[in-house]
Amino acid sequence: MTHIPHFTRRAAVLAAALGAMLGAAPARAQGEPPIRIGISTAVQLQIGRDTRDGAQLAIDEINAKGGLLGRKLAMVVADETEDPEKGISAIKKLTADEKVDAIVGGYTSGVVLAQLPHIAAAKTVYINVGAASPAINAKVKQNYEANKYIFRIGTLNSLHLAGGLVSYMTDYLHGELGMKKFAIVGESAKWVQDLIPVLKRGATAKGLDVVMAETFDTGTTNFSPLLSKVKNSGAEYMVVILSHASSDVLAKQWYDARIPVPYGGIDVKGQDTDFFERVGGKAVTAVAGNYIVRAPLSPRTLPFLDAFKARYKRETVYTGAGAYDAVHAWADAVARANSVQADAVIKALEKVDMPITTGRLQLDDTHDVKAGPGLVNMLWVQWQEGGKRVILWPREARTGDFAKPQWMQ
Amino acid sequence: MKITLRQSLALAAALALLAAVPWLGSAYMTGVFTVCLIYAIWAMGWDFFSGLTGRENFGYPLFIGIGAYATGYLDANHGISPWLGLFVAMGMSALLGLAIGFPTLRLKGPYFALATLAAAAIAQRMLLILWDITGGEEGIQGLTPLVLDTVRYYYLVLGVALASGAVLVGLSRSRWGLLLRAIRGDEASCQAAGINVTFYKIAALVISAVFAGLGGALYASYQMQVSPQIVSVLMLVAVVTMVYVGGIGSVYGAAGGAIVLSLLGEMLRSAGEYRLLVYALLLIVVIFFLRGGLVAPLWRRLGKGATP
Amino acid sequence: MTDILVHGAVTSAIYAMLAVGFTLVFGVARILNLAHGAFYMLGAYFTYLFATLLGLPLALAALAAIAATAGLGWAVERWLIRPQRDSSMAVMMVTMAFLLVAEQVLLVTFGSEVVNVPAFADAKFSLGGADIGGQQLLTLATAVAALAVLWLLIQRTRAGAAILALSQDPLAAQYMGIPIDRVYGRVVALSAALAALAGVMAGPFLSTSPHMAMPALTKAFAIVIVGGLGSLPGSILAAILLGYAETAVAYLVSSSWTEVVSLAAVLLTLLLRPAGLRGKRAAF
Repeated sequence: MTHIPHFTRRAAVLAAALGAMLGAAPARAQGEPPIRIGISTAVQLQIGRDTRDGAQLAIDEINAKGGLLGRKLAMVVADETEDPEKGISAIKKLTADEKVDAIVGGYTSGVVLAQLPHIAAAKTVYINVGAASPAINAKVKQNYEANKYIFRIGTLNSLHLAGGLVSYMTDYLHGELGMKKFAIVGESAKWVQDLIPVLKRGATAKGLDVVMAETFDTGTTNFSPLLSKVKNSGAEYMVVILSHASSDVLAKQWYDARIPVPYGGIDVKGQDTDFFERVGGKAVTAVAGNYIVRAPLSPRTLPFLDAFKARYKRETVYTGAGAYDAVHAWADAVARANSVQADAVIKALEKVDMPITTGRLQLDDTHDVKAGPGLVNMLWVQWQEGGKRVILWPREARTGDFAKPQWMQ
Repeated sequence: MKITLRQSLALAAALALLAAVPWLGSAYMTGVFTVCLIYAIWAMGWDFFSGLTGRENFGYPLFIGIGAYATGYLDANHGISPWLGLFVAMGMSALLGLAIGFPTLRLKGPYFALATLAAAAIAQRMLLILWDITGGEEGIQGLTPLVLDTVRYYYLVLGVALASGAVLVGLSRSRWGLLLRAIRGDEASCQAAGINVTFYKIAALVISAVFAGLGGALYASYQMQVSPQIVSVLMLVAVVTMVYVGGIGSVYGAAGGAIVLSLLGEMLRSAGEYRLLVYALLLIVVIFFLRGGLVAPLWRRLGKGATP
Repeated sequence: MTDILVHGAVTSAIYAMLAVGFTLVFGVARILNLAHGAFYMLGAYFTYLFATLLGLPLALAALAAIAATAGLGWAVERWLIRPQRDSSMAVMMVTMAFLLVAEQVLLVTFGSEVVNVPAFADAKFSLGGADIGGQQLLTLATAVAALAVLWLLIQRTRAGAAILALSQDPLAAQYMGIPIDRVYGRVVALSAALAALAGVMAGPFLSTSPHMAMPALTKAFAIVIVGGLGSLPGSILAAILLGYAETAVAYLVSSSWTEVVSLAAVLLTLLLRPAGLRGKRAAF
């Protein structure tokens, strides 16, 4: 079993390893070094690719206008997957090795929470564009000095989401469509477990009847038992809370069994532009909460969507818009502070007040996006025949009426 | 156990290099090597049992996990110091080793592998189902590190890794190791010769588990978090690949394998989405062409010419 | 309730197709083929590739998918497993590595999201008050047919007799002139075909993503442990048992507890009766 002598093999590996180690040394600067923004995201997912591409779009726009503080912007991407270990290692790579000036990214709350102490230790501004857990920004208030680097732009935290969902249920489904009985179904992640009581309270307070509330394992692929239960519960609407679970499979099985209960809610994968196609059209009449849709939510919305589509030949999910807004907001803060130093930028960023693709950006005292009329809102968007998307709620943004599943007409 | 001049020089050089890592590389590389050394502890632990006895322990990540979660849970919920957590972790994984060892070690052939694999799958599920205690998919965050400074942490882990290596290699070279290898060769004969085979097998599994748990606790405290991925199949594959690359059954080889593969992992970082694919292909290549590993044969070659 | 009866049957059917191949390979070739989950996944993905991306008619695409996967199974046996037969650990590692390679290749090629495998039947049926999709009913029918064909193959053909002989006594079979290598190759191909069939039928209504291989593998060996490694009737029995137990729990308690059922069954089996329900090969 001897081919290449082991010595040579081993020497080659060692040499390569040493080379890698030395390669970690910082490159020599030529001229004014660019300002570097690190992107930490799950590159294998649509969310990750859109984060990266949305950020790139913003960076290119800023560079086209002469850059920031006379320097160009550059981007470094680190893959955090959905695994906290890889997430921590991505942060370390960006801060200790690449020494970026700011980081934009995030999707899985568990990963972001795991990364927080490492971000704080690195004293680098971090803007979360995808994870909704309120626990992330709660840390800013708990220990401002350590955690002041953490910001959230681009996604509302799950408490705001809950508020939006309650409004969709009570003011629209109940108030306008007259539905009374609801089933609530969600994946058994911690944030969902926290959300369900909030939903139940808000719904029953307005006279709604929550006939069923159940969670299922995130890895579930067979929803038939659950769907049957919903059908038999007498519910008139099935409110869903899905993020990592398989929205695709739920939609297909719901359609295949022609469940006589329309559904909708927080459905992260249901936001994807190609979701309708992916499920072969079986998501028709499903409603998903979206931040960004093709509608003039702000003067920046349509130009952004058009630019993204023109450049990348596809539509983006919420993290693409979030990353775009995050980079612009950070650049705006840097310009106002006239420095890239974290402390100065933080002070400026806290006072941000600018239009973004999903509305208007203002931050509260936990560095979290403010929700409300005129600011950022959750839009409840229904998939309709042919893959059309119609905004049902809030009323001000409405572009169409509720469609019932074809077997219920 | 005789060691030749060449071997001692090689060993000294390796140790010197390891000791000098914080000076040779950046803070980032020091961090990489810290994790790498923890993997070395895990790999040596696995090799000590499975490499010597030939019984594939596919549930090994369980022992890593219980160490990590025990210290994590106590730290986050009861403020117990991670130093104490280290010992609790070792104790818990030892107990788990006993609990799993008793029913499964009497199983023949592939049943042991299947049973341990099933046990690990069960554990990973339970971590998610008992999300109240374990934090579910998000795990437990905000753990206290053992020491605050990156460099100090590195030397702490280096020390523990060296000590672990000394103990495990020492045991594997002693009468113990001989007995375990004999059991791999022909269990029935050993039994017939009056050796308490069951005792040795269970003891070896417990020892293996203890080091797994120790590494798990070190890891949790270093990352300041613990999550279900630590009990996954990928962890198992990583550890076993390291052992294979090092030279299965040698124990010291596993440490070398851990270093080689960690560095490789870093180099593959730029491969982005292809990283795991390359890793898996590498495993196949290693199994086919490097069955004896890289490190162990090298060491033995350096040992040629030793007076018997 | 009829819901449990009907849906439990579908679940059992899929589990049976998955488990039977896995136990067959062990019973005959004495190896744990950890790549098994990958065959399930590839069956679904090949169908997606042939039908959706290449535009072949669905029936043809499905057959091609099964054939392709069977071919891959044969290749895995020939080039990955056979050279490593002397070490069970090596076989397990190399087949596990194959599963990972398959998973990663699909991930990189098709992305991490679920893909839509087209279904044969879209209609909805109502059986005594239980609503069920046409594809699910078809899956049940297909499983029964496939297992019947498998039984016939083993009991009535020469190739089947060779398989049986090898599973009972490899040495004697060799002495009788049975080409063991060829039979091993066929057995792995057959088990891959069965797993692929499960993937083809269930892919449309369950989730088809690069992450479907591991859970399928875990489920397969949970069933096989409970039924008894190497026993075909045992696997089918265990598949029915676990399929119904899970469905019952999902309906009567909650969907979050379905996984606990099979895991508890495995634990109990290993603690009380490690050979499983119908374990032929002694575990002790």
